[in-house]
Amino acid sequence: MNKKAAKAEKKGKECVIQTKGVMKCYGEEDKCVTTVLQDVDICIEKGNFVSIMGPSGSGKTTLLDIIGCLLKPTQGDVFIDGVRTAELSDDELALIRREKIGFVFQQYNLIQSATALENVSIAMRIAGKSSWEARDKAKRLLEMVGLKDRLNNRPSELSGGEQQRVAIARSLANDPKIILGDEPTGNLDTKTGQVVLNILKKLNEEEGYTIVVVTHDSRIAQYTDKIINLLDGRVSREDHPNNHNHVKGLKSTKKKGGD
Amino acid sequence: MWDLALKNIMRNRTRTILTTLGILIGIGAIVALGSIAEGLDAAIQSGLELTAGKITVMDAESSLFGMGGELTLEDVALIEGLSGVKEVVPMNWHAENIQMFQGPEWVAVGVPPDKVEYLIGENTQFEEGRIFEEGETEVAIIGKAISERYNAHVGDTWEIKGKFFEIVGVTEETGISDIDSSIAVPFDDMQDILDSEEFQMMYVIPDNVKDTEKVANEIEEASDKFNALTSQELARQASQIVDQIRIFTFGIGAIAAFVGGLGVMNTMIMSVMERRKEIGVMKAIGATNRMVLQQIITESALISLIGGLGGILLGILGSVLLSNVIGGGQITATVTPQLALTGLSFALFLGIIGGLYPARKASQLDPVEALRYE
Repeated sequence: MNKKAAKAEKKGKECVIQTKGVMKCYGEEDKCVTTVLQDVDICIEKGNFVSIMGPSGSGKTTLLDIIGCLLKPTQGDVFIDGVRTAELSDDELALIRREKIGFVFQQYNLIQSATALENVSIAMRIAGKSSWEARDKAKRLLEMVGLKDRLNNRPSELSGGEQQRVAIARSLANDPKIILGDEPTGNLDTKTGQVVLNILKKLNEEEGYTIVVVTHDSRIAQYTDKIINLLDGRVSREDHPNNHNHVKGLKSTKKKGGD
Repeated sequence: MWDLALKNIMRNRTRTILTTLGILIGIGAIVALGSIAEGLDAAIQSGLELTAGKITVMDAESSLFGMGGELTLEDVALIEGLSGVKEVVPMNWHAENIQMFQGPEWVAVGVPPDKVEYLIGENTQFEEGRIFEEGETEVAIIGKAISERYNAHVGDTWEIKGKFFEIVGVTEETGISDIDSSIAVPFDDMQDILDSEEFQMMYVIPDNVKDTEKVANEIEEASDKFNALTSQELARQASQIVDQIRIFTFGIGAIAAFVGGLGVMNTMIMSVMERRKEIGVMKAIGATNRMVLQQIITESALISLIGGLGGILLGILGSVLLSNVIGGGQITATVTPQLALTGLSFALFLGIIGGLYPARKASQLDPVEALRYE
């Protein structure tokens, strides 16, 4: 077991995300052909902003998929907000994703034929909210990420940064505890990436969301509380950057109403 | 989820409209063809009112509609001699200008002049003129529909194969097409026209309506040649035939509709393939397999339901056209609520069946794979 994870456990800190001895491999039936992750023990504390770094093929996206309940580990345990996910059915995992996790992807993954408002509403419709309730809240969330004037635009009419902000609004739709980002700024230029990062940072600092992002950009990682480095499917190192107090331009964006 | 389904199927309008058309045509065929069976049923039912309390006697060899048959006046005498028989009415007829699908232009029925009321209905009133007198020849009584269609009235002459008949009466409109569209002439005159002593059918009127069944049995026992049918028996046989026609017409339409159903399936498979990534996103943000399944089936059911509703309209239109073509206006092809419901249910059935496979595929998509799919 990784030292730091063990230490966190001893101290009795609350891990909102915890993995114990997670192993993931691909192959036929019982035969393990390619091992993607091995002995991954991590603890992500509540309210932390954590980045997962590592070279291509180090297994960082796979780890994010496992944390996000999109993928089941071959071995080991995963706890999300205290719930052991290893033995849950597909539908139960879907429920966890719906209620506890918000996703932000590198490719934004918005529904192309739907407007910004509809893209955010749909997450709430899945959770069984009425069409009016969903629209109302989607509007507020989009206003919060600064897209007040873009409610009825389709993804093709939005810039990359705007699309990613729609995706962030969508990830917040069902009041999750955790936001997972898979290279959320990977498709954006530095300046736009900074805007998106600021929003995430603000959500973390002001609203207390636990945020985990996969990135290969060390500058982004420097903004986070903790960097989990992966190498060849194993946690190689955990860093705690010291400058997690200030993100440029964040001070001026104060929380206004909302949820 | 219906609003989302509508939105989704309207994304590719052309494809959806074409798919809908496939169902629409199929259900239209079911409804239009089925309307003939319903119209036939209505015509037979109204015709049966005329035979209520009467026994219809035909040659045992002939079919229900009295094609063929070799009854003679000796047979009439034989039945008249049986107990409980009040009246025997022999009938012979000539159908003018029979055409494929259209039926005859009109039918003239020969009946003994003193018994003509059994043909035109005992309670039927006259719009013009009078009933036959005993022993009268070369006279005719026509129904209201015939009078209107040919603008024929009392005093006019009606020609049947070179023989001329003076119209002495026009019956009121009864709503029974066998009366409204009939031309009654004396039996002997019709024998001359047909140049035959034999005829196809007779009505036997029992002394007491309650004895109908008993008298019918007696007639059949009197000679193997006779097939005596009460109105209940006729109704039963007729409804059997109508049911067969119903099944047949539904079968033809169902083939067309089934092809439409394959179209729905094809469209939904395409749609699911195109939306792979989107379905992956839906699952990633918390949609269960069941929700995805329901969503796709709802979409395919919606396409089919729209097609089904359109098909009913097409079927109604078709039934109007068919009424004018088939049976020379004697059969009114009718779209009954039951028939419309059958069409709609079948459309829904096809939609659900057609959507099942693509919906299953969609629900089983692995979100991780679907998300990274380009």
